[in-house]
Amino acid sequence: MMRCRRATRWMVTALDGELPARRRRALDGHVARCPACRHEMATTAAVLQGVGGLATSSEVPGRLEQATFRRVRLLAAAEAERAATRAWWMRLRLPVLGFATAVVAIVAVGLMRSGDRPLAPRPGDGGRRVVAQAPTKDKPPLVASRERRDPKATATVPAEPPPQLAAAPELFMDLPLLRNMEKLEHFEAIRTTTLDDGGEQSNG
Amino acid sequence: MSRLGIVALLTAMLAAPAVRAQQPRPWHQLSPDEQRRAWENYRRYQQLPENKQRSLEERYQRFQAMPPQDRDRLRQNYETYRGFDPGQRQEFGQKYRRWKSGQH
Repeated sequence: MMRCRRATRWMVTALDGELPARRRRALDGHVARCPACRHEMATTAAVLQGVGGLATSSEVPGRLEQATFRRVRLLAAAEAERAATRAWWMRLRLPVLGFATAVVAIVAVGLMRSGDRPLAPRPGDGGRRVVAQAPTKDKPPLVASRERRDPKATATVPAEPPPQLAAAPELFMDLPLLRNMEKLEHFEAIRTTTLDDGGEQSNG
Repeated sequence: MSRLGIVALLTAMLAAPAVRAQQPRPWHQLSPDEQRRAWENYRRYQQLPENKQRSLEERYQRFQAMPPQDRDRLRQNYETYRGFDPGQRQEFGQKYRRWKSGQH
């Protein structure tokens, strides 16, 4: 004879029409005899019918949808910002440390070298020249200069110069002078030239 | 050794640095600072048009052929020119154009 516990367990399956016929007959016999299980069966059938009548999806109010999406976007942006800040700091921490070390090293080398020999600034330099060099036999000397130059021109000086430079290094050393050669050849004559309207020119 | 020989030897010893100064120095005799200047100027030179490069080479040949005192004078003038402040340089540029127009 079927017990109420088993009958209750089979009820949902039976109401869905999926209980084998033999079990279904046994269940029906029990429910016919047991008022409690009959009531349980009726209640379960009503619940299943009600659940089956519910829609599987429903319209969400537009304002609720917009508010939800806005909140999601804000949370996502805040999280991205936090992640970016963390990444930025993590990215910078090592290079900054390295850069600071390099600056300290360059300053220290510069101070030591300036104690070894004078830099002999030219007129007009105003003491702006900063040279840090460590020439060795194997490595070309590294040069740092802030001397009224375009930054592209500052570079590592090769240990072995290109043939053209090796052939006439003084040509390139004196390049600024050569570029102004005419002015320099007639320097005094130009200096004493007057700029008044008469355009009178001294004979220098 | 005769007196003339001693005089000749002393003259040669005194003249040697001057002769050496006239000869272009090879790369390895330049100081690190001179090498740096030469290298930077070489890189600028490479960016100049070919006719400008030729013109500079000609000027260099002319400069090398000058007597030492003339070269020294040019160097001295260049140092003075470098020492100009922007206002002085601008004025010098104007005077140069005025002077040059009077040359032709």
